[in-house]
Amino acid sequence: MTAGRSGSGPDLTVRLGGVELRHPVVNASGTYEADSLASGGLDAFPFSAYFPKTVTLEARAGNPPPRITETPSGVINAIGLENPGVEAFLTELDGLAGLPSPIVVSVGGGAAADYRSAVERLERHLGEESDAHVPVCGYELNVSCPNVASGVAIGADPEALAALVDDLRSVTDRLLVVKLTPNVTDVVAPARAAERAGADAVSLVNTFRAMVLDRETLRPFLGNRTGGLCGPAIKPIALRMVAEVAAAVGIPVIGLGGIASGQDALEFIACGATLVGVGAAVLADPEAPQRIVAEIADGLRRRGLDELDEIRGVALK
Amino acid sequence: MTDAPASEKHVHEAALRVLRCPVRRAETAGGWTLLWLEAPEVAAYAAPGQFVMTAVPGGGFHLRRPLSVHRVEDDQVALLVEARGEGTHALASLRAGDIVALSGPLGRGFPLVESGSAVLVGGGIGLAPLAFLADELSRRGVEALAYAGVRSGADVPGVALAGVPGVVVATEDGSVGTAGTVVDLLDRTAEAAAAAGAGAPLYVCGPLPMIAAVERWARGRGASGFASLEAHMACGTGACHGCVVPTASGPQRVCREGPVFPLDQVMTP
Repeated sequence: MTAGRSGSGPDLTVRLGGVELRHPVVNASGTYEADSLASGGLDAFPFSAYFPKTVTLEARAGNPPPRITETPSGVINAIGLENPGVEAFLTELDGLAGLPSPIVVSVGGGAAADYRSAVERLERHLGEESDAHVPVCGYELNVSCPNVASGVAIGADPEALAALVDDLRSVTDRLLVVKLTPNVTDVVAPARAAERAGADAVSLVNTFRAMVLDRETLRPFLGNRTGGLCGPAIKPIALRMVAEVAAAVGIPVIGLGGIASGQDALEFIACGATLVGVGAAVLADPEAPQRIVAEIADGLRRRGLDELDEIRGVALK
Repeated sequence: MTDAPASEKHVHEAALRVLRCPVRRAETAGGWTLLWLEAPEVAAYAAPGQFVMTAVPGGGFHLRRPLSVHRVEDDQVALLVEARGEGTHALASLRAGDIVALSGPLGRGFPLVESGSAVLVGGGIGLAPLAFLADELSRRGVEALAYAGVRSGADVPGVALAGVPGVVVATEDGSVGTAGTVVDLLDRTAEAAAAAGAGAPLYVCGPLPMIAAVERWARGRGASGFASLEAHMACGTGACHGCVVPTASGPQRVCREGPVFPLDQVMTP
């Protein structure tokens, strides 16, 4: 998939593995739904790659409500990986055949075997079953959801994570992106383990485990009691973690955590990120992706720069 | 009955677009604020029961708030806001000339009955979508019998501001109108029971326990209808699954499959 430079502005194209993307802004899984465009507006898809909501082998009902609310400078959620299961997801996926951006399917699970079965099912569908030619370029392994009983354990355990990536490497030639949890003492060890086992990229951060109380009853507000915090509140912590990981691994890093502007995006790129993911900001502003891309170009232009490589990693030196 | 006129496709397009709408008039009574906005794109497509995702003015807020389309007149759309938390307080403080950023109309509205009569039941700010519904029903020549339940007499000026024609009010403290809940009011109103018994649909909006009580009241009379649900919502477009509620046909998103559901599909606590 290639997308040439648009106009005479700075070059925003980036590479994720062998895939060229027209700009560095992608969506955080679970915050943007392209299937709402499937009625004819797929061309309007604003991100350079699409990360659908995490799919698991079997359907999951998710957590009881309330599931999401606003906090000071952020948003907390405990959706609980609600999804229809991989079999039903295949139909949704076929509806995205005309998407102008490649798709990275987010896969979650409990045991490592669930990830393998889900990816095998997807591979079988993409390889033989479907004539839809859906542009799936890879998988994002969600080993970091803070709102389910299992799954996060793999992301926090470098050995288990390496074994998972190693196992999936034998199932697919598509890109494997590992979404890392920030709920660990040392975020670098799982990142290194993922790289060593053959991951093509890592993405971080997922949300931080957090809690919010009902103002009147002083009891947990969310149905799940705890949730995951995102939004501007976590940006400085996410930047530090992205910088640590980018300094330690050679594979591309997808930076996420409170990105709401071109300035935020440039800061993550300066900390070594190749791509940036937008989550909470797009919930509140559906026009945020286009605006952030334009602001990144403006930010480069203002500094007299022609391409993102000129700022990538400058904060690490 | 016919489905809401706004097409799925238009809802999808509206979800991706932010409209900047000037406030033309703002009026406050009984803790509720009525905002009239210049919003031709919303006015052209909105159906009763649909909502808009409204950005909170003033900065520092990270989620939009879902507000029912309360009324439509020419190029203008009215929203009714109850100041509850910091976000709705900020929305309620908007004044003429301020700009509101919003997306909409979103969601699926009330299927509309084409003739006869209908029973409209609102609990508190749940009255908001029923004004638009009453307008549309009366345009079709349907007789709309409207009932509202609020906590106290202090809320009654808000009910007046909502302006649902002919609305009959119950207050829980008994200071104005019938004393008790809106279901107590339905029980004591021969007209409501007669209409429901004759097959008039119920259109209900309010807190879930109230919807549950109205559903039981309707079921006891062999009546059915539709309820518009409230939920904590984040994206308003179906992406985040934050507003999912359990229904008789499984988990459903209030923002996408709803906010209006058949009354008998609503699962109550």
